[in-house]
Amino acid sequence: MTKPSLAELSGVFFRIGNFTFGGGAPTTAAFQRELVERRRWYDTLQFGLCYALARVTPGTNLFAFCTASGWLLRGWRGAIAALLVASIPCCALVCLVTAGFDSWPRNRFFQAAIDGALAASVGALLASFWLLVQPYLDRQHLVQTGAILLGSIALSFFAGWSPIVVLLLAGIAGFFWRE
Amino acid sequence: MNFLILYLLLLKAALSSFSGLAALPIVRDDFVVKRHLLTDRQLNTALVVGRSTPGPKGLYLVAVGYFAGGAPGAIAAWLAIVTPALLVIPLLVFAKKRIADPRVKRALRAVVIASAGVSLSATLPLSVDALRNVPLYGIAAISLVLLIFTTWDTLWVMLGAALASLGLARVFDHLS
Repeated sequence: MTKPSLAELSGVFFRIGNFTFGGGAPTTAAFQRELVERRRWYDTLQFGLCYALARVTPGTNLFAFCTASGWLLRGWRGAIAALLVASIPCCALVCLVTAGFDSWPRNRFFQAAIDGALAASVGALLASFWLLVQPYLDRQHLVQTGAILLGSIALSFFAGWSPIVVLLLAGIAGFFWRE
Repeated sequence: MNFLILYLLLLKAALSSFSGLAALPIVRDDFVVKRHLLTDRQLNTALVVGRSTPGPKGLYLVAVGYFAGGAPGAIAAWLAIVTPALLVIPLLVFAKKRIADPRVKRALRAVVIASAGVSLSATLPLSVDALRNVPLYGIAAISLVLLIFTTWDTLWVMLGAALASLGLARVFDHLS
């Protein structure tokens, strides 16, 4: 694994953080694909660490994830850089859109472009699901992976439990469950 | 509206939430009901803006700050949103010291798998909202294939999807 320079790190967090539609989940999925699969700046376990801790940090999970990833890759400077480049441009854009709200969303073609980006974000979420699960579908981990996966879907989707509780339970199960 | 008070009100909202729109009742109570800084219509507008722009949905707080205090209000909101993110660093320092323990590794692996399950659960309602016609299903499917089987940059896939949808809208507009 290669550690990025501060400029490379800022470039990636700027692009993914400010150009991914659909909220925090698709953006985190895009980060997972970029940082783990494409650039191999860290591994799935370190991604899991950043993801889990970002989920239990109050506030906007995505910015906590960027801060954690930046810190893991380049220390304090990386954390601050990732947080700033991922947050300032999209916040500025929110200001612009708020100021011009009466004209922007009524434009049908602008809305069509947003719809396309949102559809792609569904694809990004499904791709992230596959990329996260696929390494653990080998014979050794299959039962544990299946049980945790089905359990987490049942608890979050069907029972409506909070993601934090589901992740906490999964962490406890993994801590005590030896294969 | 005083910058510091606005920052503290928005920080309270940010700190009381662990995801997306969870702080909405607190924001409404503070800004619409108690202090009359916003109307319900402006709060709704803020939510729509948060959904229509890239990045986390929690950015609607920036629109709330803008409505309540103009550009300085938006800056106060940005500060309120990014401040809690720094809390993750002490947690990371604590966890990193223990990552060599096999039980911690297993726990993290379980969290990664569960996060995939939680993310899939979040995808289903998002799909209902986002995939409203056949072309959008097609765009989602093509994006999925590209993101799994190629190393294309996610940004280009998203931009391509936006342009494809825009092109299709123009074609349908022309045909009708």
